[in-house]
Amino acid sequence: MGEKKNHEDQKYIDGLRQNNSFIIQAIYDRFVPKVVNYIKQNNGDADRAQDVVQDTLMTIYHQASQKQLRLTCPFDAYFFLLCKRKWLNELKKSSNKEVTINEEVLSKDDDAQELAFETSAFGEKQALFAEMFKKLGQACQDLLKASFKIKSMEEVAKSLGVTYAYARKKKSLCIGKLTQMVQGSPKFNQLKN
Amino acid sequence: MKDQDFIQFEAYLANEMPKEDLADFEARLKTDAKFNQAFNTYKELGGFLEHKFKNEAATMAFEENLKNISAQHFGLKEANKPKAKKLNFYKYAIAACVVLFLGLFVLNQFLGPTYSNYAKHDVISLSVRGENDALIKTAETAFNNKNFAKAEKAFEALLKTNPDNPELQLYQAISKIELNNFKTADYLLEQLRNGSSVYQYKAAWYLALSKLKQENNQACLSVLKTIPQEADDYKRAQKLIKKLN
Repeated sequence: MGEKKNHEDQKYIDGLRQNNSFIIQAIYDRFVPKVVNYIKQNNGDADRAQDVVQDTLMTIYHQASQKQLRLTCPFDAYFFLLCKRKWLNELKKSSNKEVTINEEVLSKDDDAQELAFETSAFGEKQALFAEMFKKLGQACQDLLKASFKIKSMEEVAKSLGVTYAYARKKKSLCIGKLTQMVQGSPKFNQLKN
Repeated sequence: MKDQDFIQFEAYLANEMPKEDLADFEARLKTDAKFNQAFNTYKELGGFLEHKFKNEAATMAFEENLKNISAQHFGLKEANKPKAKKLNFYKYAIAACVVLFLGLFVLNQFLGPTYSNYAKHDVISLSVRGENDALIKTAETAFNNKNFAKAEKAFEALLKTNPDNPELQLYQAISKIELNNFKTADYLLEQLRNGSSVYQYKAAWYLALSKLKQENNQACLSVLKTIPQEADDYKRAQKLIKKLN
């Protein structure tokens, strides 16, 4: 498969990443009503829709900031699919009824499906990482925060009153502990494809 | 995985692994599936943590902005629904409300301190100098002309290259208070207040004002009480404490 060009709707992704109010407003005006209608027609209401939309946009923001998000399909389709997935997952969790999510078979040309799936998986991983981080001991949490906020490990070591080697070692062990917690979580196995 | 494995992951990712160990490490990544998976998870976690902490302020700003736009959008949507017309009753009700409101408004002027009474920003002249003189000028002028939206954008750009500059952080926070971006403003001011820069007491003063603007008089009072005698704003803080009590 050759390198696909970015879709012109890439501007929505970039606008979210850059906290561009004009773009965010445009997304609400152009793409959100369709999502709201869908949710209202599927056991939801405006309040739930508001939350789904906000959470989805946060996930897109995080993915675009942390990795690269290249849109090769219209934003409309991608965004709608993401919100729909999120809503159906919520219904599944909250209701006792069996909710079947009709996942159409992925085809390589179906970019919207593929991208939405990737973002969805990214969002779930983020949530898992965040949950596990909170369960880390306070010392590790503080060390990791310092390690990533302060530019050099030398400065981190200085601020904590330890040697560079010790700080580096502690950093590895803390991320290592986090790795083990993540891998040990049942949610992680659900995410693995 | 053993401790030593994680230490190796860190060294490899930081490009600090000794050359003689590289070949063995990379070979193991290829042949040992568990090792490989742990490495990839470790690496992803690094990415997650880096984004979380390096971009904390930007993420908070985005989240707050998103909430505001969302609230506006969903608020308007509900308002656009057609309402039953019962004009006469509503006319009188609205008139009565307006009169009541005006009365309360006038009364309010004689009671209770408000943010606008106390938020008198001095003209600023930034001491940070560097390659960004034009941007610095833009930020200063916009702030002094009370064009806080423009000032905020300029400060944001300046903070990208000078993220730890307390002077910039302070004026950014003040701009954000003016724009009602309280969450981010308060966060910045708390950091400054707990730091040791020359702006720590000014930051406390503005944090109090921010709480006042959010109509949280209790929080305002507790911050005001922490402003010491040697601070520039001590007298003003004392006056405000008296008015709030």
